[in-house]
Amino acid sequence: MKYVSRRSVICASAGLAATSALSRPYIANAQAKTITFWVGQGFVKQEDAALKKTIDDYEKASGNKIDYSIIPFGPLNQKIVSALTSGDVPDLFFQDAPTTILPQAAWGDKLVDMTDVVKTQESKLSDTAKLSASFQNSKTKQRTYYLAPIKQAATPFHIWGDLVEKAGFKMADAPDTWDAFWDFFKPMQKVLREKGMRKLFAQGVSLTTVGPNDGNNLFYHFVIANGGQGVVTPDGKLHADDPKVREAFIRSVDYLTTSYKQGYVPADVLSWSDSDNNNGFHQKLFIMDFDGTISTELAMIDNKKAYYEESVTWGLPNGNDGKPMPGQTGAGGGYIPKGAKNIEVAKDFMKFFMQPQMMNENLKGGLGRWFPAIPALIEEDPFWLDPSDPHRAPYIKIALGPMIPQFNAFNPAWGQVNAEQLWGRAEADVIKNGMTPEQAIDKAFKRAQVIFERFSFD
Amino acid sequence: MSLALPAGRTTGRTKRRPNYRLRSALVETVCLAFAAVLVIWSLLPVYNMVLIALSEHSAVFSGEIFPWDPSFHSFYVVLTQGFWYLERFWHQFGNSFFIGLMTMFLTLLVGTLASFTIGRMRIRHGWLLTNAALLTYVIPASFLAIPFYRIMQNYGLSNNPWSVIAAMVTFATPYAIFIFQQYGKSIPLELDESARIDGASPPQVYFRIYLPLMAPSLVAVGTYALLLAWNEYLYQFLLLSSKNSMTVSVALAQFMNSDEAPWNYMMATAITYAIPPIVIYYAFRRHMAAGLTMGGVKG
Amino acid sequence: MSSTQQALAFGRAIPATRLTRQKWRGGLQGSEFAWAMAFVVPYVAIFLAFVIYPIGYGLWLGSEPALYSELFSDPIYLSTVTNTLLYVGIGVNLKMFLAFLLSGFFMRKRWWVKTVLVIYILPWAIPSLPAFTSIHWMLNGNWGFLNSALYELFNIDGPIWLNDRGLGMTSNIAAYIWKNMPFWTVIFLAGRMAIPQELYEAAEVDGASGLRRFYHVTLPLMANLYLVSTLLSTIWSLGEFNAVFFVTGGGPAMSTEVLATLGIRHAFTMGEPRLGVATVMSALPVLIPIVIILMRRLRKAEVQL
Repeated sequence: MKYVSRRSVICASAGLAATSALSRPYIANAQAKTITFWVGQGFVKQEDAALKKTIDDYEKASGNKIDYSIIPFGPLNQKIVSALTSGDVPDLFFQDAPTTILPQAAWGDKLVDMTDVVKTQESKLSDTAKLSASFQNSKTKQRTYYLAPIKQAATPFHIWGDLVEKAGFKMADAPDTWDAFWDFFKPMQKVLREKGMRKLFAQGVSLTTVGPNDGNNLFYHFVIANGGQGVVTPDGKLHADDPKVREAFIRSVDYLTTSYKQGYVPADVLSWSDSDNNNGFHQKLFIMDFDGTISTELAMIDNKKAYYEESVTWGLPNGNDGKPMPGQTGAGGGYIPKGAKNIEVAKDFMKFFMQPQMMNENLKGGLGRWFPAIPALIEEDPFWLDPSDPHRAPYIKIALGPMIPQFNAFNPAWGQVNAEQLWGRAEADVIKNGMTPEQAIDKAFKRAQVIFERFSFD
Repeated sequence: MSLALPAGRTTGRTKRRPNYRLRSALVETVCLAFAAVLVIWSLLPVYNMVLIALSEHSAVFSGEIFPWDPSFHSFYVVLTQGFWYLERFWHQFGNSFFIGLMTMFLTLLVGTLASFTIGRMRIRHGWLLTNAALLTYVIPASFLAIPFYRIMQNYGLSNNPWSVIAAMVTFATPYAIFIFQQYGKSIPLELDESARIDGASPPQVYFRIYLPLMAPSLVAVGTYALLLAWNEYLYQFLLLSSKNSMTVSVALAQFMNSDEAPWNYMMATAITYAIPPIVIYYAFRRHMAAGLTMGGVKG
Repeated sequence: MSSTQQALAFGRAIPATRLTRQKWRGGLQGSEFAWAMAFVVPYVAIFLAFVIYPIGYGLWLGSEPALYSELFSDPIYLSTVTNTLLYVGIGVNLKMFLAFLLSGFFMRKRWWVKTVLVIYILPWAIPSLPAFTSIHWMLNGNWGFLNSALYELFNIDGPIWLNDRGLGMTSNIAAYIWKNMPFWTVIFLAGRMAIPQELYEAAEVDGASGLRRFYHVTLPLMANLYLVSTLLSTIWSLGEFNAVFFVTGGGPAMSTEVLATLGIRHAFTMGEPRLGVATVMSALPVLIPIVIILMRRLRKAEVQL
């Protein structure tokens, strides 16, 4: 592997081996079975290769076979929904970011309890991983583990450092509170346009209702920066009436729509699909954006200049109150539907995968786009904070700071809130329909309350 | 006063109108201009695709309107399977062909047999079958994916290309039956009748009279069935799981997954993939002779 | 020419038809009946195996009344219905009309007309996903091909196409027509080719000009095909989501969503497939009358020659 020296791998492995069990399966090799396994495709081919290695390792160690299908993430959602609805399910699903389907399925009592799997590593998992792996079940009225978490992600800033310098600024001068940080880039637009970049914009913010979750993710970080993370509490309740929460949401919509109206944002962000954001960034059509994981940079990894010199990954500044703001993260991993034929073997595989060195190896093979759900690995293995890679360390540092789970970990209703793109619509209401931020947020919260009423925990 | 006209002369006139040449030239020019507009309309998005396919770094938003520096690298990559999404391109291409051609063949076969029986042999209550066929379209195909997924499991056809073929034929055949019936209207029943008098059995009528005269609609409906299966991706990725059984249209969906933005490869794949159906259509188009040929009927 | 052929040449001679009908009216005899049954069995088998259960299951999925109250209370539902009516109403009819006209154009016998036909059907042959994605990129207001071309060639600053509900709907409809018109043109072309030349020649002999010939020969014979095609296309377009999904994505702010895309969103993004099926089934009040008219038309097609 290009990015980690062999020596450091050996050192890391030795260190981890000393502290954890050897990598072997948890059930004896009684009778070799085959399980069917559906897994989402990686965003770079190294992720798929790493997965194949993990599977090969398991097959060798246990004698069981895994019949796996790698499916692109969009179609995977559809396939999983079809399987869960029709009742013809494989043995194991694995998704990097199962944001809506997983909580919904858990709520509907369609999944197998994974407590025994998670317990094998529970003490080592991060709090957000544990919270993102457990969900409320409407039938049992209990919250329990349904996901075996392996990977987590954070959202950093992606900036073209060379454009910043071309405009005569330095990243070192960037302010360290949220709104001010965003404002830092605004004056650069004028300078760069005068220098001939006719169609350049300062901020590439996805104020869109299209696409998986970019618009929502961006918006929630604004909310967190404004102190509104109490909107959904671990008991699953929505706090739309909390003035602090309301204020935070209003300020977030206000900032984003003002930026848009001031012309610092490309006009068609309202219809941006996931690819538009990436295309725009790769072709240097805006200076910075805020998007999950470092896949944007990893996609350019073969372009040495762009990867090592020009693009910059930046962590989270402080919130608008001056205090460090938590990033928001979910967890990806494996979950088992009810009705699967080989539950024990599927669980065995997940236990195997969750072992620290397997987890670590797999995620390192994926170029570090996802970080392990076990924080100790990040601290112990020098790969993660390797200073020679300009992007990984700033990204991973977010994981070492404060983190909160995604809101749909507390209540599946939030998954529907996401899917209905309430916040993208609120932004559009302000931009296109002349509403004030207050009116737009009130309208959105009203709808959110209707949705939450359908997911009563009692 | 009628003159015997040579066959096939559609624009011949018995009486020359005044300014014939001028009118003719005018009509011709208008047609050419119209054709130019049509070509631009049809090719505009395709041109964008070609631009992207020919660009070195998948510059989708390059702002360039002409490929000053075209690079055929992406087509080379497609043909040599040089990209991770395209590793099994030729195998998947073969799958597409298999599924597409089988769908076309079966749709034409089942459709013509059914419409022949209903429309020509006039079985009693044939209209019942036609109406029942219409039921297939009451729920849009995209929403029938889940039920289909279920029954294919029940029939033991999961992960089998025949499940896709069955689904495609199910959706294409009712339409085929309707079009064949409409088209068959203009073929007089007397032809069948006189053949029967001559002692022909139903299969003979079907093969010798019905099918040849239906040729233009067979080409149209056949191409429709082929393209339905060729470009379908929802059913294909839902019903097929393994990489070996996937088709190119499913492979194309993978490209949307990537942050690598390999759009030049995607567009090159799409363009390459669109060529066979066009070639097939064009090859069979020669059989769409204008006008009703009376070749099969004597006396 | 024998009397039969003369009758054929004029296509609509009734006496011969009556003769035929009487002959067959008594039901098919013996081996012919057996053949008829054998011919019809393949389709019946397909129907029983692959239509009854999925349609039944699909209808069951969308049959719970609670789904509909949930659906109608969604604020986006009303605008979605409006969009669907526009999309289907304008999209289908404009497409059919143009396809019909173009089928006439493609009957011309020039070598370049044949070449134009091959280019013209290219949109039909290209897979939806890349084609519509290409259109989406093309219509990008700042950086897309269309506006770049307008600027470079005509020095016009094009509008932000996908930012506005009206322009977005127009783009969706245009993309839909672009992709689907060639198919119907080919169908109408096949239909036109079925019209016997003798009819045109006879009309010409009687002194009818081009337009008159169209009116008296082409139009009556194509009318039923046109109507049946329009009705079928209407039914299909209710479920067509590719164009809207990839071109505007339902944006801006879900203002260009149609029932099909909303249903897909419910089914697969929200993980509620029953709600998704209910979304498209809420179009049944419009769909059923169309299906009934279609049934009548198809039945009529058999009685009349």
